[in-house]
Amino acid sequence: MKLSELNPGEYGIIKEVLGRGTVHRRLLSMGLLPGAIIRVVRTSPLGDPVEYELRGFFISLRKQEASYIIVDRVVPLSMIPSGTDVQVIFIDGGVGFIRNMGTMGIAVGKKVHVTKRCCPMIIRTELGDFTLGRGMAYRIFVR
Amino acid sequence: MLVALAGNPNTGKSTIFNALTGMKQHVGNWPGVTVEKKEGDCIINGKKVHVVDLPGTYSLSAYSPEELITRNFILEENPDVIVDIVDASNLERNLYLFTELLELTPKIILVLNMFDEAQKKYNIDVHKMRQILGIPIIPTVGIKGKGIESLKQAILNSKKFTPPKIEYPEDIERRISIIEKKLRKENFERARWYAIKLLENDAEVIKKIGSQNREIVHLSEHLRHEIEDIYGDDIESVMASVRYSFAHGLFHEVAAPINVGGVTITDMLDHVLTHKYFGIPIFIAIMYLAFQFVFLVAAPFQDGLDFIFNGKNGVPGLVDISYSWMSSFMPAWLASLINHGMLRGLGAVLTFMPVIMLLFLILSFLEDSGYLARVAFLMDSIMKKMGLEGRGVIPLMLGFGCNVPAIMATRTLKDENERKLSIALNPLIPCGARIQVFAFLSYIFFPHNAAVVLWSLLMLSIAVVFVLGFVYSKTVLKGRTEPFVLELPPYRMPTLKGISIHMWEKSEGFLRKAGTIIIGAAAIIWFFAALPWGVEYGSEQSYIGMLASFLAPLGTHFGLTPDAIISLFFGFFAKEVVIDVLYVLYGSKEAIALAMSPLQAYSFMLFLLFYTPCVATLATIYDETKNKKFTLLVILQGFALAMLFSFAFYTIGSLMGVGT
Ligand SMILES: Nc1nc2c(ncn2[C@@H]2O[C@H](COP(=O)(O)OP(=O)(O)O)[C@@H](O)[C@H]2O)c(=O)[nH]1
Repeated sequence: MKLSELNPGEYGIIKEVLGRGTVHRRLLSMGLLPGAIIRVVRTSPLGDPVEYELRGFFISLRKQEASYIIVDRVVPLSMIPSGTDVQVIFIDGGVGFIRNMGTMGIAVGKKVHVTKRCCPMIIRTELGDFTLGRGMAYRIFVR
Repeated sequence: MLVALAGNPNTGKSTIFNALTGMKQHVGNWPGVTVEKKEGDCIINGKKVHVVDLPGTYSLSAYSPEELITRNFILEENPDVIVDIVDASNLERNLYLFTELLELTPKIILVLNMFDEAQKKYNIDVHKMRQILGIPIIPTVGIKGKGIESLKQAILNSKKFTPPKIEYPEDIERRISIIEKKLRKENFERARWYAIKLLENDAEVIKKIGSQNREIVHLSEHLRHEIEDIYGDDIESVMASVRYSFAHGLFHEVAAPINVGGVTITDMLDHVLTHKYFGIPIFIAIMYLAFQFVFLVAAPFQDGLDFIFNGKNGVPGLVDISYSWMSSFMPAWLASLINHGMLRGLGAVLTFMPVIMLLFLILSFLEDSGYLARVAFLMDSIMKKMGLEGRGVIPLMLGFGCNVPAIMATRTLKDENERKLSIALNPLIPCGARIQVFAFLSYIFFPHNAAVVLWSLLMLSIAVVFVLGFVYSKTVLKGRTEPFVLELPPYRMPTLKGISIHMWEKSEGFLRKAGTIIIGAAAIIWFFAALPWGVEYGSEQSYIGMLASFLAPLGTHFGLTPDAIISLFFGFFAKEVVIDVLYVLYGSKEAIALAMSPLQAYSFMLFLLFYTPCVATLATIYDETKNKKFTLLVILQGFALAMLFSFAFYTIGSLMGVGT
């Protein structure tokens, strides 16, 4: 789907940035790259442009430009209700964090069952049951 | 020693630059473009270091003038060290430019500015960062001057460092080195960088290398297609991804997030300031209050300066005193030229200054606080219709205060066409001086409907600006080439020092450049008004008077009386003078009211609304565009609109027999 189709509060992971030339390069140099997580923050009072959060900073894009960006909708694990099965799409962190998550069976592509959402979060992976801090769950994106 | 400051916009680059150079700085333009160039000197341990502030950019591709300037400066001037100023509280994104700079030169110092803000978000392991990068890394808090001394020492002790290479994946590296070897053989310096850029399809580099060696360009084209096939993506995305993953990896290696969570102040403010229903009304209210502030504070200064130069109620001003003194020892005409012409001109420039400086103060405050970006966010939809981005609303609004700072404020628009469009439209916005004149004239000529008359003129000008903006942006000043990607930085309390430097820089620029032109113009006006020698100043026997009688038959088509024409001549100099001239010619309000029919009066006001911008505005337009033809077109545009509206109104009014 296009980034312009996400609603405020929703998250997406960038699949592709279409287009060529200036538009394309400007978007890339701002960090709008395949693999990046982007959150829709709010829409301008008149409907366009829209504010997004990306890599910890905030940008505004016109709908026109946002339609060049193809995303998949994802949800932070922390927002998944109890009793849901999800698949890990992206882990936002450094090597250390990713390795840590790996020891709990949380890795890109793996299935996770949310036993209890809060608090703390209890999940079941193929390696067993684990509790997960909110800060961590917030950095794991699933579908 | 030559030092260049580079970095993203909004990282505190100006703050650091000011801290390094103090007041010893020079502001100009980069050759050929309207991008500001700031330079200054800094004495470190008795050694003089020349500091150049490069424009803020997000990357070093060749797509915007800012990027090209930064790149070419490093390539051509080969500074002894580059100081990359990053916003440490937004480290990952900022490190992207760093990776690009690193590819260009190993002589680099990394400044982690906004370290205070960064520490609220994560712990940065500076020591580890130094180990990984092998270059000096200086945490600073620009607004507090923290870390500036260490930065100075690091600059002095800088040498060729040995930072790590940005490694691309094997299949790309192999192709880079093929091109690199070829370039080496041809004795190119910075062969790796050129090789990467060739591969990356960089238009500038291809042009440059292609003019010397077509074969290498063909080779790199071939290799590029291979990479694109392997990765199934275009080369730009592939290369940018590699750089970003370097930045991403480095960032996570050295920064451990502190889980603060919760709502930030910026988020709370944005909740209100960009609110669905309140956002735009709040913006209008803020601007309204800002204007009230400007005029309230400026008025006494303006009156004071006016009094000093021109006197009041029989008390002679500087102009008269100096005139009588000078005429005792030099020919009267020369004394008159110096005093009635040039000194009065200087007075006019100076009386502009309070408003101009205060408007700059407002502008700097909007910019430095981060609110300007929100205004752009709020207004973009509306402004887009007239071919401008959201920020374009600010110069137009400042225009209601004074067109001079408003036109200088168009620098916030990055797109060249949008900037031109914005400059062309700005003089059509009635400035404070014109609104004053209209308020006065409406009151004299239409005592019962003054508010309606004034309101109608304001609405007309706004409508004209919109329509022309729409038309121009669809025809002669067509669309932007860059996407409108706008960063919304966190709100920050601007510092007094930052704002005053900003304000002074701009105001001083106006005084110096426009000042000379205005004083020159004042001399010319004097020439027409006072000659032939012996006639009463500005009377029918003077050249201006003669010109006015000559133009009178033409003027009747637009409802302009000869005296109205004379006042328009003087209005070219400064619009508020129109009232003074009418006063001098008629002696009293009542007499002015009788001099024109209501129909003529309104036609006259329509003419006054649009005809040529005043000298100060023209000087500024020329100075900002360095384009004589464009400046001339702005004058023509004004006259065309003035003639169109007053002719149409006067003709239709006469035919219908109203107000004659
Ligand atoms: N908290 C904090 N604010 C800073 C620091 N350095 C600069 N600022 C503020 O950040 C804003 C932007 O700074 P400026 O120098 O204009 O940035 P530039 O656009 O990169 O030249 C201003 O409001 C500064 O007062 C810092 O180290 N810490």
